[in-house]
Amino acid sequence: MPIVTFSPSGASAEIPAGGTLLDAARLARVRLEAPCNGVGTCGKCRVRLDEASRARARIVATRNLSAEQVADGFVLLCSTLADGDLEVTVPGSGERGLRILEDGVRLDLPLNPTLRKRFDAERRCTVVSAGERVLAEEGGDTTTRLYGVAVDIGTTTLVASLLDLGTGARVGSASALNPQVTHAQDVLSRVQIASEPEGLALLHGELMAEIDRSIGLLAAEARIPRRRIYEVVIAGNTCMMHLAAAISPEALGRFPYTPALSGHEHRPAAALGLHIASCGEVYFPPIISGFVGSDITVGVLATDLAAAEGVTLFVDIGTNGEMVLARDGELQATSTAAGPAFEGMNIACGMRAARGAIERVAIERDDIRTATIDEAEAVGICGSGLFDAVAAMAVLGIIDSSGRFTRKAETLPAPLRARLRPLDGKTVFYLDGEIYLSQRDIRQVQLAKAAVRAGIDTMLLRNGLTPAQLDRALVAGSFGYHLTTRSLIDIGLFPAELDGKVSFVGNTARTGAEALLTNDEARETLRLVTSRVEAVELATDPDFTKVFVAAMAFPAPVSPALSDAA
Amino acid sequence: MPETPEDLHEALATAVLELDEVLTADLCNKAVALGYDAWTTIEQGLIAGMNRAGKLFDEEEYFVPELLIASDAMYAGLGILRPHISQANTIHGRRVVIGVVQGDTHDIGKNLVRIMLEVAGFEVFDLGRDVPAQAFVDRAVEVNADVIALSTLMTTTMTQMSKVVSILEEGNIRHRFKVIVGGAPLSQQFSDRIGADGYAPKAAQAVQLAKQLTGLVNAAA
Repeated sequence: MPIVTFSPSGASAEIPAGGTLLDAARLARVRLEAPCNGVGTCGKCRVRLDEASRARARIVATRNLSAEQVADGFVLLCSTLADGDLEVTVPGSGERGLRILEDGVRLDLPLNPTLRKRFDAERRCTVVSAGERVLAEEGGDTTTRLYGVAVDIGTTTLVASLLDLGTGARVGSASALNPQVTHAQDVLSRVQIASEPEGLALLHGELMAEIDRSIGLLAAEARIPRRRIYEVVIAGNTCMMHLAAAISPEALGRFPYTPALSGHEHRPAAALGLHIASCGEVYFPPIISGFVGSDITVGVLATDLAAAEGVTLFVDIGTNGEMVLARDGELQATSTAAGPAFEGMNIACGMRAARGAIERVAIERDDIRTATIDEAEAVGICGSGLFDAVAAMAVLGIIDSSGRFTRKAETLPAPLRARLRPLDGKTVFYLDGEIYLSQRDIRQVQLAKAAVRAGIDTMLLRNGLTPAQLDRALVAGSFGYHLTTRSLIDIGLFPAELDGKVSFVGNTARTGAEALLTNDEARETLRLVTSRVEAVELATDPDFTKVFVAAMAFPAPVSPALSDAA
Repeated sequence: MPETPEDLHEALATAVLELDEVLTADLCNKAVALGYDAWTTIEQGLIAGMNRAGKLFDEEEYFVPELLIASDAMYAGLGILRPHISQANTIHGRRVVIGVVQGDTHDIGKNLVRIMLEVAGFEVFDLGRDVPAQAFVDRAVEVNADVIALSTLMTTTMTQMSKVVSILEEGNIRHRFKVIVGGAPLSQQFSDRIGADGYAPKAAQAVQLAKQLTGLVNAAA
């Protein structure tokens, strides 16, 4: 059987002749992204073969690789089969130095945790209870040792915090990559993997092992024993909640996307693979629907959305754009499939927010200026940079309002004109060094921003509201935190009427989960609020296609001179 | 206003390409008033314009909105000209059953392919979205279709496509239909794996594929 060796790590695996390199990479435990789960559509599992190896490999497809890359020996792991021993070079990992946003706005609630300890002086023991339920008795007085952990499971990242439930203070925090990303980037691919029992066991096991590892780190740093942690609150999108609870997410993969878990429920921590107090429990906050999970409901809590006066839009911009429209306490929620473009996927030079990613693009007189993460040499572009770049291109008239590259490039200022150059026979726009955006990339961003905007417009339309009637917009989540109001409006994801009304509230999934640890009433409040939220299904809304198509337009360039260029 | 039928057809094609529904309707009314052959006007004017829009879409010059607006203009023109088509005009008569597979409700991509197939002269039976595998087969048998075209946007519903192929095989009628698949999460490998007859990454290529598979054009061409 062929042996596939991966450099620079030196890891190797033996696979049957004709097996894919992706199988070999997984066997060899090489950390490599395959966002599309080996279907051959994303082009991200790119590696290099030397000439000798190429002769022993069968290259089935090279989708999303340029002619130049193919000539250089680049192949896709998922679309290349091994007929003999192979040497595979893995390019620098995009996960190095991945930036994770940890904090968000919080709601000030009195300290009144669900978990309590009471010392029984007569029996010289400490009674541990959760609400009315007695969980355990411990010898001696341990009342000053009571901790809980709040976890936000993102599709890409995990953030965990350790709280002292005696004081309500956060005593430590940790973040990590969601280990499931090595199997599949997007939620639907994970739903598919976990629809089979073995897949569910794999994704559940890996996820909980990573959370358990984070808990271990937090406990060690705070110098407390794990057994003094009594509760873990887990927030995340509906799929992540299913995977954490070891419940098949199969029904989330098809219309009408009915969840098999409704949240506001407890499970024994030990049964889910978490090593905390033996009586310890995991609390899953309530969810709204198959695509609006507890990351959003706890965000509603953290921002006190149900108490907001007037009309408020709460939106988490990401692969799934979840949003809640609040009108004086009446809440409606929906989600839109923005696709993975905002994470840098399906974009020729796209990457995650890691070292060397272009994260900012600003307009500077007759040209643009880019900034990269860690001020490193540009190696790609991440979501926030992509947003800025396309917004700037719309403002400058490099693309017209339909999203097409201008056909009057000669009217552009010279520095911008010089950035429009052909690549493989098609015009692309160079941002920095070799990093460019193609017409296809712009179309991907256009689809993604139109999906979110169509969600907003459909929600407004259903309520007979105009954009001017929005009192405020709260942008939650780590991706949104790195965006600017300017870019959101310039790209047309937000209506111009929101100018001056946007706040970036950060990781409210985490702060909301923490609030549930420290305040018992918040759980009942959130359960009530969630039960009254109306879940809106966009795909079956009769106006959706029309609204979606209209939302694809970019706002017109700002100055008359630039209008001319577009 | 155009002087000859040829001028009018060219003006009509341009009106569709430029997304001008009002002008398209005006020109079609004029063609009727002047007694120009309705079928030729559809072919040389409306369909020629839509084909040009489809080509721009393929080149990523036009996007979803432009293609949909162009098709609005084309359908407006068709509404005017259709009552005037003489009986003698028949198209090639190939039939396609199309739909979004069960579990998925995203149908914009399917609608684009339907429009382009109609433009190419196929008689299209659109089953809509969230369509059970058996319903595709039943309808294809009922209308004696040449092609079954399956669409999905979601990874999780891709397996529904192989179900259609299996049902055809179990019924020993696989040879009667060409099965083509499309949608964002799909690839040629997937199409090969489930035993479909073809995969197209874009709307216009789906039409080319349908034409090849039904013998309307030579595969090598």
